[in-house]
Amino acid sequence: MISLLQQHSIVASRHAQAYTRPEKPCMYRTRRRGAVARAVVTENIEKSSKIIGSSTAPFPILVNGCTGKMGRSVAESIISSGLTLVPVSFSGKEKPGGNITIGDVDVTIHGSKERETVLSSVINQFPDVMVVDYMVPDAVNANAELYCKLGLPFVMGTTGGDRELLYKTVKSSDVYAVISPQMGKQVVAFLAAMDIMAKQFPGAFSGYHLEVLESHQASKLDASGTAKSVVSSFQKLGVSYDMRRIRKIRDTTKQLQMVGVPEEYLGSHAFHFYCLTSPDDSVSFEFQHNVCGHKMYAEGTVDAAIFLYKKVQQKANKRLYDMIDVLREGNMR
Amino acid sequence: MLSLTLSGNCSLLPRPNNRRCALFFARTKRTTLVTSALTRETVAISQDAMADSRNLSFPILVNGVTGKMGKAVAEAAVSAGLQLVPVSFSSLDKPVRTLEISNIEISVHGPSEREEILSSVTEKYPDVVLVDYTVPNAVNANAELYCKFGVPFVMGTTGGDRPLLYKTVQDSNVYSVISPQMGKQVVAFLAAMEIMAEQFPGAFSGYKLEVMESHQATKLDTSGTAKAVIACFQKLGAIFDMNEIEMIRDPEEQINMVGVPEEYLSGHAYHVYNLTSPDETVSFEFQHNVGGRSIYAEGSIDAAIFLHKKVQSKAEKKIYDMIDVLREGNMR
Repeated sequence: MISLLQQHSIVASRHAQAYTRPEKPCMYRTRRRGAVARAVVTENIEKSSKIIGSSTAPFPILVNGCTGKMGRSVAESIISSGLTLVPVSFSGKEKPGGNITIGDVDVTIHGSKERETVLSSVINQFPDVMVVDYMVPDAVNANAELYCKLGLPFVMGTTGGDRELLYKTVKSSDVYAVISPQMGKQVVAFLAAMDIMAKQFPGAFSGYHLEVLESHQASKLDASGTAKSVVSSFQKLGVSYDMRRIRKIRDTTKQLQMVGVPEEYLGSHAFHFYCLTSPDDSVSFEFQHNVCGHKMYAEGTVDAAIFLYKKVQQKANKRLYDMIDVLREGNMR
Repeated sequence: MLSLTLSGNCSLLPRPNNRRCALFFARTKRTTLVTSALTRETVAISQDAMADSRNLSFPILVNGVTGKMGKAVAEAAVSAGLQLVPVSFSSLDKPVRTLEISNIEISVHGPSEREEILSSVTEKYPDVVLVDYTVPNAVNANAELYCKFGVPFVMGTTGGDRPLLYKTVQDSNVYSVISPQMGKQVVAFLAAMEIMAEQFPGAFSGYKLEVMESHQATKLDTSGTAKAVIACFQKLGAIFDMNEIEMIRDPEEQINMVGVPEEYLSGHAYHVYNLTSPDETVSFEFQHNVGGRSIYAEGSIDAAIFLHKKVQSKAEKKIYDMIDVLREGNMR
């Protein structure tokens, strides 16, 4: 008989082994002056599946919000996947000026006032450019309007804003877009699988007991929306459970020792644990999805961009997509 | 090293007595072949049990109560408020005469009496549903017998000639649920993984998979369920070689590392699958851990209730599997 607390210390020791960061030396090609750099980063890892295959042309992507953590992470993923990072971005401030370096690319940061002019000239230079948006909730609708005005296909990674208006704006223009609040592709797959199971087999787990535990960085005050989504699938499966019973772990000591979060990710992680037990305790099902840092969302965003580029090239009838569409397309790299 | 854990309280809760429904039962002299007049037992009957007996009580015959699975199913039937027909069969010519299951005396008959007994059972209990947990060698002969008498049945026994089994049932137009895996919730989990793999191929490309399974020491082969789940993950793009499945059969390891309760060492099925992203910042883990037989017994009862419903509604479709039972939703 192992208590939830005990078993998490077992989990912790296992995670400590799993999350040893491997050393990855990188090689960079020198940048050509005055032109867009296409930095190809080759990482010396055992599985070389990160390198984009010759099946996808390296199209240009502009990341709106390179100065933010997510924006920067996406920009890095773009470079490492062999796509072209447009060396231009925007800031929320009106006149920020300055450059930042991402990988081997020197990115010029423009103020929000210059958006339209700068974007127009980017489109002139790179007609098949796409935008990835990781700004702030307040800017979501204005940015979407601008992209639609300029006919720029975009991936909206920023959450919040007026979502109804966002969809309305996109639908009334002809622009291609992927909009998804959850860019962790594999988490979306897991959630979708639970949802499909619940819809196909209602009440299959009637009478089962559920325990849910989630851990996020201390600054996240609300309970995990993802956890609530999974719980609601379990409820459809016949499990009776009050959402308020979800255990939120925000204390860093517990996160280190009980949950097994690696220290470097205490400030940015999303660990989830669900356990279903039969009424007579003889059967149990456990599900876990544990994400450290931003990489997963960055990679999912790049998948979304590759997917969208494909749709644009094919002149697909459908314009508005979500992560499920990206998943259905299969692996594109 | 992966460690499996079982969360929650592992001790078996005592089977609550108030769920045992009142059943009519008596044995007649052996000269008449069918057990007739049933008397009501004076036990405390909860509202629950009364509701059960009103709503979904129907006669159920378990072929193979002398075996462990058959016994478990018979007990589960009684707990569920179904009417356990006090008759069963054995492959021995002169089997033990009677067996007591949940305070009901079941008379056990040998092969030579099968046809007579079954014939009178169907007369006495026209809406009987039969659940079969015998042996692989008897699967086809039993199926033929049930089909001959038009008895709807749940085939829990694995093995035998499966194509012939399906052919026999198809030709006779008898209602049946046939499923090698009666653990309903495990079937649901497996189906969910299959749907995920079918809908989102390659979603986990590049992810590394690790699998560990533990079964009773007598199970020499690798878990078939594990192989089925792995096939899904492979479609999802995970990297894995079937030879890499870690099979735990040493009881010490099972207790200490896997966390199998001692009472289930001789009968359990624990599985853990771990998916890790190429850069190791993301991991997914799935576990399904079964101790004892209860899940299969309960699943069999669910299948029997489902089948009874289909027979009553004169459904067009005749042959069903566990997925059909799952799709029907909760019937209790």
